[in-house]
Amino acid sequence: MLNHKNGKTKQEKATNEFNQIVVGNSLSKDAWRRLRKNKMAVISVILVSIYILLAVTAPILPIYPYDEIVIDHQDLPPSLTKTAGELMRDKELAKMYAQAWRQGRLVVDEATNEMLEDWVSRSKVNKVWDYLLPEGNRQLESGTFTWNASEQRSIDSREKRIANEIQISIEKMWLKDEQGKLSDVKHLETDEIVALYAKLLGVQANLLVDQYTYEIEMQLLKKIKAESTGLTDDEYNMMLRDQLDSMSTKNYDALVKENIYEKIASTIKDMAMEQLGTEASQAETTYPLNEKVAVTEYLTASVKATKMHDRRYYLGTDSLGRDMLSRIIYGGQVSIAIGFIGTLTSVLIGVVLGSLAGYLGGKIDYFIMRVVDIMYGLPYMLLVIIAMAIFGRNILNLFFALAIISWLTISRMVRGQIMSLKNQEFVEAARSMGASTPRIIFKHLVPNSLSVIIVFSTLRIPSFIMTESFLSFLGLGVQAPYASWGSLVGESVGGMTLYPWRLFFPAIVMTVFLFAMNFLGDGLRDAFDPQSKNQL
Amino acid sequence: MTKYIIRRLLGIIPTLLIIITLSFFIVRVAPGGPFDTEKKLPEVVMRNIEAKYHLDEPLVVQYGRYMFDVLRGDLGPSFRYKDHDVNFYIFQSLPNSMILGVIAISISIIFGISSGMLAAVKQNTWVDYLSMALAVVGISVPLFVIAPVLQYVFAMQLGWLPTSGWFTNGDGWQTILLPAVTLAFADFATIARLTRSSMLDTLRSDYIRTAKAKGMRSSSIIFKHAMKGSMLPIVSYLGPAFAGIITGSVVVEQVFRIPGLGKFFVQSSFNRDYTLIVGVVIVYSVILVIMNFIVDVVYSLLDPRITYK
Repeated sequence: MLNHKNGKTKQEKATNEFNQIVVGNSLSKDAWRRLRKNKMAVISVILVSIYILLAVTAPILPIYPYDEIVIDHQDLPPSLTKTAGELMRDKELAKMYAQAWRQGRLVVDEATNEMLEDWVSRSKVNKVWDYLLPEGNRQLESGTFTWNASEQRSIDSREKRIANEIQISIEKMWLKDEQGKLSDVKHLETDEIVALYAKLLGVQANLLVDQYTYEIEMQLLKKIKAESTGLTDDEYNMMLRDQLDSMSTKNYDALVKENIYEKIASTIKDMAMEQLGTEASQAETTYPLNEKVAVTEYLTASVKATKMHDRRYYLGTDSLGRDMLSRIIYGGQVSIAIGFIGTLTSVLIGVVLGSLAGYLGGKIDYFIMRVVDIMYGLPYMLLVIIAMAIFGRNILNLFFALAIISWLTISRMVRGQIMSLKNQEFVEAARSMGASTPRIIFKHLVPNSLSVIIVFSTLRIPSFIMTESFLSFLGLGVQAPYASWGSLVGESVGGMTLYPWRLFFPAIVMTVFLFAMNFLGDGLRDAFDPQSKNQL
Repeated sequence: MTKYIIRRLLGIIPTLLIIITLSFFIVRVAPGGPFDTEKKLPEVVMRNIEAKYHLDEPLVVQYGRYMFDVLRGDLGPSFRYKDHDVNFYIFQSLPNSMILGVIAISISIIFGISSGMLAAVKQNTWVDYLSMALAVVGISVPLFVIAPVLQYVFAMQLGWLPTSGWFTNGDGWQTILLPAVTLAFADFATIARLTRSSMLDTLRSDYIRTAKAKGMRSSSIIFKHAMKGSMLPIVSYLGPAFAGIITGSVVVEQVFRIPGLGKFFVQSSFNRDYTLIVGVVIVYSVILVIMNFIVDVVYSLLDPRITYK
């Protein structure tokens, strides 16, 4: 073994009889060269990389967080140019025009009337809206149609809301002392911060103690209950006492500080909101705002404020007003993660079992292969559906259910590879040098069948994603607030007549990824094994 | 041959036993039961219900009782639907699923083989590229995307076909088209690709060259000689294809509101209707196992190189 190692460090360049340097060519190098010639595979690699990059960087991308909901922004269509406020206005106006048309106040000619009636009877209300919006605006301008008083009132109040509603977040707060020096509120001592909050509220500091003690206990209790279930209330209380007793003063103070800090922040947020909401400041502030505001004489805060209805939804919103773009990106994060990690798990199980069966042979081989045979005969998707429906629908269960059924094919393939390799000279050489069985399997046999494993895994990822999405589509997979491509498609099926973008965007995004993965897998297979062109 | 068939038939029994046992225990080991409601039922009522369905007995006794019933062809009473037993519901919805499945698999076989053969014979022409592009779409696009998209385009926008419904409910025979095509798509794609590659292999083989050299017409070479030789991979694919059709029908029946077994299955899984779940799984498995058996026998009949002792 030692000699072998020494030989490796002092490698000489090989030459042929004409003294030319001979460069060795490995299978993987050769495959890589062939893969680069395959245009579709190269495009696929680029696409897949973009998807993965987007999925990984999702939290720092300039998109709205997937759980941030503006309830007024429900069902907005995709638009590259209009803001949410404009889309909201269009949507509401279209509905009001439709109502006016129904009441006979918005008059259109006979033929148009018939067309609109026909759309209504075929439940294509969205077409009616799309037609009446420009028509109504035109008539309003030419004066043949006017809003009645109550309609005008509701239009005005909405306009005011669209113009004025703001969203605020408090980034940082500073306390100003008598000399006018600023100090970060986060770095204050616990009693100072409590005093500050009391001053803010205008109450005695000791009155706050009861409240925060109670809140912290509740918070801890909730955590304990989440960790261990099925105990009585007395037992929970005892655990809480234990935890409080064993907690150091420093840790407890940190909890108090955190609690009070959140409260100050939310009070400041309300106060800043009030200040910015006044008519006077409305006129002179420009949004988005990001500056230090002196909220009181002794407190300054860096406030980030945006107009709520200035948001832009390039891919529209869903029925809860969530941005489809960010839903699709975060959904892709879940789908891609499940695809990759699931494949990795199933390949690991498959490789270990398959190579054991192939190398050891005999009874172990027989046993493993019988298990595989029987599991092949099972209608496993049905069993997965039952398991998901009954054992609770969370990502972990889904993952587990998929991993235990998807190692079968890979284990058969690895077994076949290992059986054809195990009688070759290099294995015999390793064995005669006293290498242990695990070493032979994992250092010599598995690396030699790596090309088969890589090709298979690449083709496995899209089918894993499809299975996960299939379950999510049925409502058995990923649960809200999380999303996956499958659950996005599944949620949108019900409303696809009115809101087709909710179906098409996730479907297109998912399909493109699956296409790319399939082309990449095909390309890899052709590259590693040129003879098996176009076989399945 | 007879011996092989008998041995293969005997092999079905343990598979079915395992399936029944597995699904029986999966549904019962899980927390929660079919009678869990928002409001807690009084202790006595609960005990009475459990006694009625023998849920108070030890699990092994329940298992034995259930197995005995299943062997007699009785799948037990439904826990959720009080009016009829499981057999009734299954026999009511199974024909619908069967019709859908048979039509779908026929579509995929007929169109898959013909477009695959066309692609192979006219290799590297637009026919080849078109059918292979369609096949790639079928393999990459999941069923649950194809289903609503076809529904949106052909039923809602163009208005050519009904959006949902089923012909036994008097909605017209056209209701069957969209679901059947949707369900057939994935298998069509795989069969087309398989046919193409195995046809290409066969067309390059020696006996085809001999036939050509003898001056046979190319149509009779393709249909008489090459086709039979290249059907083997397709036959062996039919086993997984049936399994795919069954899982796929769960989604298709959901999207197109077809009163079939698949819809029942998902519903009863949510309801924890133990006997109905296990009943549906048993029916599915029996169909699947029988189909696999037929496929194996056909395979052995088609391929003279395989001999069974």
